[in-house]
Amino acid sequence: MSKTETGSPGKMGKWTRRAFIGAGVVAGSALVVGVAVRPGNPIDRLSPMLADGKDEQLLNAWVKVDADNIVTAVIPHVEMGQGVYTALAQMLADEMDADWNKVQILEAPADKQYVSDSIGRDFLFPDLEVPALFEPTVAGGILELAQAMGLQFTGGSYSVRATGQRAMRTAGAAAREMLVAAAASEWQVPAGEITTADSMILHAGSGKAEPFSKFALAAAEQSLPAKPTLKSPENYKIMGQSKARHDIPGKVDGSAIFGIDANVPGMKYAAVKAAPVVGATVESMDATTARTMPGVLQILNMGDFVAVVADGYWQAQQALNSIDTKYSKTEGDSLDQEALFARYATHLDEAGENGGDVETEEGDVGKGFAEAVTKVEAEYKVPFLAHATMEPMNCTAWVRDGKCDVWSGHQAPVNARQAAADAAGLAFEDVTYHNAFLGGGFGRRSESDNIIMATRIAKATGYPVKMIWSREEDTAQDHYRPSATSRFQGGLDKDGKAVSWSNIHTHLFDPKDAPTVPYYNIASHKIRKVDVPTQLRFGPWRSVDHSQHGFFIESFVDEMAHAAGKDGYAFRRELLAGSPRHLKVLDTAAKMSGWGSALPERHGRGIAFVPSFGSIVAQVAEVDMSGPKPKVTKVYVAADPGFVINPDGFTAQMESAIVYGLTAALYGEISIKNGEVQQSNFHDYPMLRINEMPEVEVALINGDHKRLGGGGEPGLPPIAPAVTNAIFAATGTRVRELPLSKHSFA
Amino acid sequence: MKTLRSLACLAPILLAACGADPAPGPVEQIIVREAGAKTAAPAPAAATGDAAGALIAEGKAAFANCSACHAVAKDAPNGAGPNLFAIVDQPAGQVAGFAYSDALKASGITWTAAELDGFIADPSAKIPGTTMITGAIADAATRQAVIAYLESITAN
Ligand code: HEC
Repeated sequence: MSKTETGSPGKMGKWTRRAFIGAGVVAGSALVVGVAVRPGNPIDRLSPMLADGKDEQLLNAWVKVDADNIVTAVIPHVEMGQGVYTALAQMLADEMDADWNKVQILEAPADKQYVSDSIGRDFLFPDLEVPALFEPTVAGGILELAQAMGLQFTGGSYSVRATGQRAMRTAGAAAREMLVAAAASEWQVPAGEITTADSMILHAGSGKAEPFSKFALAAAEQSLPAKPTLKSPENYKIMGQSKARHDIPGKVDGSAIFGIDANVPGMKYAAVKAAPVVGATVESMDATTARTMPGVLQILNMGDFVAVVADGYWQAQQALNSIDTKYSKTEGDSLDQEALFARYATHLDEAGENGGDVETEEGDVGKGFAEAVTKVEAEYKVPFLAHATMEPMNCTAWVRDGKCDVWSGHQAPVNARQAAADAAGLAFEDVTYHNAFLGGGFGRRSESDNIIMATRIAKATGYPVKMIWSREEDTAQDHYRPSATSRFQGGLDKDGKAVSWSNIHTHLFDPKDAPTVPYYNIASHKIRKVDVPTQLRFGPWRSVDHSQHGFFIESFVDEMAHAAGKDGYAFRRELLAGSPRHLKVLDTAAKMSGWGSALPERHGRGIAFVPSFGSIVAQVAEVDMSGPKPKVTKVYVAADPGFVINPDGFTAQMESAIVYGLTAALYGEISIKNGEVQQSNFHDYPMLRINEMPEVEVALINGDHKRLGGGGEPGLPPIAPAVTNAIFAATGTRVRELPLSKHSFA
Repeated sequence: MKTLRSLACLAPILLAACGADPAPGPVEQIIVREAGAKTAAPAPAAATGDAAGALIAEGKAAFANCSACHAVAKDAPNGAGPNLFAIVDQPAGQVAGFAYSDALKASGITWTAAELDGFIADPSAKIPGTTMITGAIADAATRQAVIAYLESITAN
C-alpha cells in the first residue's frame, strides 16, 4: 500500500488488492467507533483491509495508528480537485491532537461499510436533528438505507459538512480519548491529568511522554466513549488553517494517478460511439474499412453503441471514425431547440395561475399581487449544459473467470462497483472496483454509463480493455444540466417593498430548496413547477438546480429593485432585514467592491446573493461593456460556510466555481437539432480563457461553527446573475436568457 | 425520462438499488485478430534502415517533446514557437512572422549542431530571457537524435 506523508507527499494512498491479501498478518485486536460503522462487528472484515503489517492496529473506521506513530486518515470520499482529502484529514487530526506532519491519507475502498451514513441522513432527513452522535437506532437505520442505495458518494458539497463534521471529528476525538484512557491505566494517573499534542501523550506531573503508537494496542481494549468531546473553535489547531493540499504535489510532478492512467498488463483500448439520439439503436454498421485498419482487434455492435478495440487508443478511434452506422428512428428525432422551449412554454401556459405542482406557498400571492402598487413580470431561460471534465470519460475493465476488476474515477465508487457487477452479470462481491483521482467530476462522474459500457466491452472480449471517450463523445453523450424556463410575477407596495413573489418553472431536479427564497422577507410567495418530458438525460451539474434558479431568482430580484426605483444592494438589504448572518455576507461583498462608488462609462457593478448547500454567498461582479463583448473585470466574493476548515482550499473552490459558472454564463450552451446534440468539442463548447478570467477577491466569514456548509458548489450560483445585473447597470439591457454569447451589446 | 429525482436517487444509485439493467452482449462481434496475435509487420519507421536512418527515426520520435510548439513542414504556420523547417545552420531569430524574445533576437547565434545541443539542453541557461521555457531534453543521446532529425529536414 503506498502512502503519503504530509511532509513529503508523493503518491496518494490507494486501495490495492495486495493490501487486501496482505490482511492475513494483521495482529492485535481492533476497535470501531464512529457513526458510519454499523452496530454489530464489521471489524473482522475491515481490519484486514486497512492494515498491511503486523505492527498496525486498526483504531477506528477513519483512522489507524501504526508502529511509527503515523496516523492514517481513511477518507470515505473521492478527490476530484476539491481538496477533500486534506480538509477531512484536518478535521480528524485536530480532534485527535495528531502531529499534522505525520498524518497519512488513504481513500476508503469501494466497500459498503464505508457508505457515509451522515450523508444518508442529510439526504433523507435533512431536518432531523440528532443531538448525540451515537444514536444507535437512528444511525444504524440510516446506514442501512444508505447502504441499500450504495451511497459512498462525493457530491452535494457534503463531504466536510456531513462526513467531516459528524464522522471524522468524532472518530478523531474518540481515538484520542481511548489512547488517553489506555495511558491513564498504565501510568496509574487520572485521565484528566493527561494531555495530548503532536501525536504524543503527556503527563506533566510525572514528566511521562509517549507516542500514540505506544498505546494503540491497549487503546483498542478501552471501552468505547459514548460521546467523545469535540473541541470548540478556540482550541482548534489544524482546523481553520490553510494546510497544504495533500493531492497537489503528485499532480504537479505527474505521479498522481487518474482513472485514465489505469495500466493493466495485456490491456487493449476501445473507442466508442453511441447512437446520437438517446434511445436509438444501431441498425447496421459497415466496418469494411475499419477491419483492414492497423491495430484493430475487434469491432462490436453493442446495440446502443459501436466499439472498436485495438492495440492503441488512436488506432481504435481512427477505425471507429471510418465505420458507417445507421440508427433506428425514435420519437426524439424531430426534437430541436426551439420546439423544446416552445414545449416548455406550452406546459407553463397550461399550468396557468394555479396548475403545476406547488413547491412552497405562504400567504396569499394572488391577493398580494392584485393589491400591489407596482407589478413586475419576467421570463428567463437557460440552456442545457455539458460538464466538459478535463479528463475525458473513461473506464478500464477486465472480466474473466467469474470475477471483474474495474478502474475509473467515480464520485460514488460503491455504485460504480454495483453497476459493473450488473453489467458483468456477477455478484457485487465478485467485482473489485479501483478508484483513482477524478480529473474533474462536477456531477458527471456520479453517473455510471461509462462503467457499464466498459464492462460490457470487456465481457465480450475477455481481456482487459481501457475505454476512452473522445471529446466529441463526451460532449454529445453527457447527462446534461437541464435547460429550463422560469416565469415570475412580483408585487411591490407603495414604498417599493416586495409583498408578493410568484414563480413557475420547468423541471425540478435537486436540491429541493433551489427555487425557494425563504431568506427573503416577502409577505406572500408561491413557487410551482411543471415537468416537461425531453429525451435528453439529465444529470447533476455543479450546484445542480441552484445553477438555474440562482440566475432566475437574482435576476428577478434585480428587476423588482429597479421597478421599485431602488439600488439592487439596498433592496436586498431590506429583504434580508432580521437575518443578521445573511446581511453580514451581503454587506461584506458590497463593501469590498466599493459599492456605490463611480465607475467609468459603460462599466457596471452587479450584486447577487444565493445561499446554497448550507453556505451563504454574495458576489459583486464588475463588467466592462465598452468592447464588443462583455468583459468581467473583477469579482468580489463574501462567503459564510459556518466555519472554514481550510481557508486556502475554500477560497480555491470559490474561484473555481467562478471559472466554471462564468464559462457557462458567457458561452455554455448545448443545443439540439433533429434530436442530436449539436456541439462536439471546445470550438463550439468553449471554456473561459485565462485572459478572460476576472480578478477574484474572497472574504470568508465564520458565522456558525456548529452548522457547516459546503464549499464545492455554493460559489457558482451567484456569478451569472451578478454579471447580468452588472450588464444591466452598465447598459440598461436586461439579459433574460443565457448564455451571453447569444446577445449583442454593440 | 425521469425528470424528478432527488440527489439521493441519482440514476446510478437507482440502478444500483434495483440492479434492473440487464447488460446486453454484442449484437454483432467482428473479431479481426486475437489479442495475442502479431500484427502484420509495420514498415520500418526510417526507410533507410541504416544507423543514420535509425538515429533520425529516433529523433523524429523524440521531437514529440517539441511538436506541441514547433512545426517542421515547409511553410507550416508558427505555433507557440517558430517553424523549425531547415533551421540547422540558420541564424537565430529569423523565421518570418514570429515574435521572438529580445534575448533570442540579440543572441547572434547561428544554429549549428553544437549550438542547438546547448540550447535544447537548457534554453534559459544558453539564452537568458528566452521565452522557450519548456521542452528541454536532459539526455545527451536523445538531443543528438533530435538534432540529426532537424538536420534531415532541409530545403532539398
Ligand atoms: C512550450 C513550447 C516549446 C517547446 C515544447 C519547445 N520550444 Fe523551441 N521555442 C519555443 C519558443 C517560444 C521559441 C522562441 C524563443 C524566444 O523567442 O526566445 C523557441 C525557439 C526555438 C529555437 C530557436 C528558433 C529560431 O528561429 O531561432 C529552436 C532551435 C528551438 N526552439 C528548438 C526546440 C526543440 C528542438 C524543442 C524540443 C526538444 C523545442 N524547441 C521545444 C517554444 C517551445
